[in-house]
Amino acid sequence: MSELSDAALVTALRRQMTIAAARQVIAAGNLANVNTPGFRARQADFETALDASLRQPLAVTHPAHLRSEGAGSVAAKDADGLPARRDGNTVQIDRELLEMTSAGGEFQRAQTALAAKFRLVRYAINEGR
Amino acid sequence: MSSLNAAIAASATALNAERTRIEVAISNLANAESTRGPDGRPYRRRDVVLGSQPAETFDAALGRASATGVSVKGIVEDQSPARQRYEPSHPDADKEGYVALPNVDPAEEMVDMLSAARAYQANLTAITLIRDLVQKALDLGR
Repeated sequence: MSELSDAALVTALRRQMTIAAARQVIAAGNLANVNTPGFRARQADFETALDASLRQPLAVTHPAHLRSEGAGSVAAKDADGLPARRDGNTVQIDRELLEMTSAGGEFQRAQTALAAKFRLVRYAINEGR
Repeated sequence: MSSLNAAIAASATALNAERTRIEVAISNLANAESTRGPDGRPYRRRDVVLGSQPAETFDAALGRASATGVSVKGIVEDQSPARQRYEPSHPDADKEGYVALPNVDPAEEMVDMLSAARAYQANLTAITLIRDLVQKALDLGR
């Protein structure tokens, strides 16, 4: 049975922070265009992001080889199913602000866990002092 | 981190655009009764045209998440006809006693100004939220 290694944990938390930051960036771009006629709201493309992070583009032929960590990037796509205003714009201020707040919370959760992890490592380096 | 900076920059472009909308609405309101503009004709209502900025960042070229900014494409004059008011004693009245007044509807300008103010507020909130995120990330080094 394989244990969850420190490196895997840190990678997972880092990925979570990357996705949360990307959601913030996309929502900020939507908010900037809240009055642009014809602008379609964008959203993070989680399916593509998941595929990218599960795919292993580098072959591993020896157990000591470093594994590729997958892409650390998130793609964006047009959000479907949102009602358009008369000017063709599909941005809703409340929806985007909610998205930013929830992404901020997600980022903070991952950051707190990562900080705790780093604290343990520092504790070990300092020989428990 | 660079994409977060790009997001703050995009929100800043929106602050600029919304401020322009408020300024134009104010100038429309201020000139709602101006019968003589620089060209001697009644003032014409102005409108701001917004367009999203082409994303030219490295992230956008790779199809990654990036923030799209907004820019003022131009300020155009509303070509709808001037309002006519019967006021024979007015110095700018025509032969029949009608004065041509600007095609400004104060109610419309107020609504425009409110919507711009709300969008400005939302973008300020967005900047604050992103700043919190950056601050949190920096706290990891503590």
